[in-house]
Amino acid sequence: MDLEAFQTRVLPAKNKLFRFASRMLGSEEEAKDVVQDVLIKVWNGREQMNEVQNWEAWCMRITKNLSLDRIRSRQRKATDPMGEGFDIRNETLSPHELAELSESMIRISQMIAALPEKQRQVIHLRDIEGYSYNEICEILEMDMNQVKVNLFRARNFVREKLVKINAYGL
Amino acid sequence: MRMDSKTIEQLLEKYWNCETSLEEEQQLREYFGGEEFPPQWRETSELFRYFEHQKKEYVKHPTFDDDVVRRIRQEEPRGKMVRLIYNVARIAAGLLVVAVATFLVRQEIRKSYPKEVADTYSDPKLAFEETKKALLMISKGFGRAQKETRKINMFNEAEKKIEGKKEEKKESGNI
Repeated sequence: MDLEAFQTRVLPAKNKLFRFASRMLGSEEEAKDVVQDVLIKVWNGREQMNEVQNWEAWCMRITKNLSLDRIRSRQRKATDPMGEGFDIRNETLSPHELAELSESMIRISQMIAALPEKQRQVIHLRDIEGYSYNEICEILEMDMNQVKVNLFRARNFVREKLVKINAYGL
Repeated sequence: MRMDSKTIEQLLEKYWNCETSLEEEQQLREYFGGEEFPPQWRETSELFRYFEHQKKEYVKHPTFDDDVVRRIRQEEPRGKMVRLIYNVARIAAGLLVVAVATFLVRQEIRKSYPKEVADTYSDPKLAFEETKKALLMISKGFGRAQKETRKINMFNEAEKKIEGKKEEKKESGNI
């Protein structure tokens, strides 16, 4: 694959990769850096791309792994008394997003942010990005059963919260 | 085509149980993206609107693509150069080890020779001259020594003669 093909085929996937990294990291700036690293990695491994059946899922998997690496290094820094960046909690929403979203959408966003990591990843890939179960298995390196269980739990958690909001306005 | 609330209710139930297909989920998003739906689904509609809204999020950095392309271009030649430098450095390091080893071994060999045996001349002509000088000195010494030994010989002969006379006297006296 030459650079031109890379620019027309792979680069347009940047927004999907960015959304996924951003969801995992909770920071747009860090997500941008991760996606750049992912694209460089994809370029360097472009020979393998012909062997990969679904290259977009492959890119998403690299995004997941690099984001996890970043989260781990952040946690290491946080536990290292000499390290900086003690506060590992990031804002789940940017000020720009907060201004754009309605109150109930902000509540939903917070609900999803409160989900365990795997459930958050699965619901993002299915309900926002519209990936098939098989693709999600490939991206998250999980089996079908795990994917479905995580999605079921995530959707039901959201459903219960919505019912409560509807009933009691909570 | 506008779906009736019964169908939506069934679809929603399937959705919560994770039994919907991607197409059915798209139908739900489209339905709740519209304006008209029963009030009991107000919050549910917000969920599907939230999903749609999240889908619109994009990389906002205007130079993102250019940065990626620049990094790709930068990494390519540097990668080749780094490999080349690495290989040259490997060969140089190998040669250095051999050179240092040879030097040290030579030093050790020199140390193990007695000083007198050690080769001190690098110019063969000079070495020849020095050797000649040394040999001449030795031969001179030999010449002198020969002279001295001749003197000693004289004494020895004289002594023998005297001793011979003494013995003769003794013999004649005994008779």
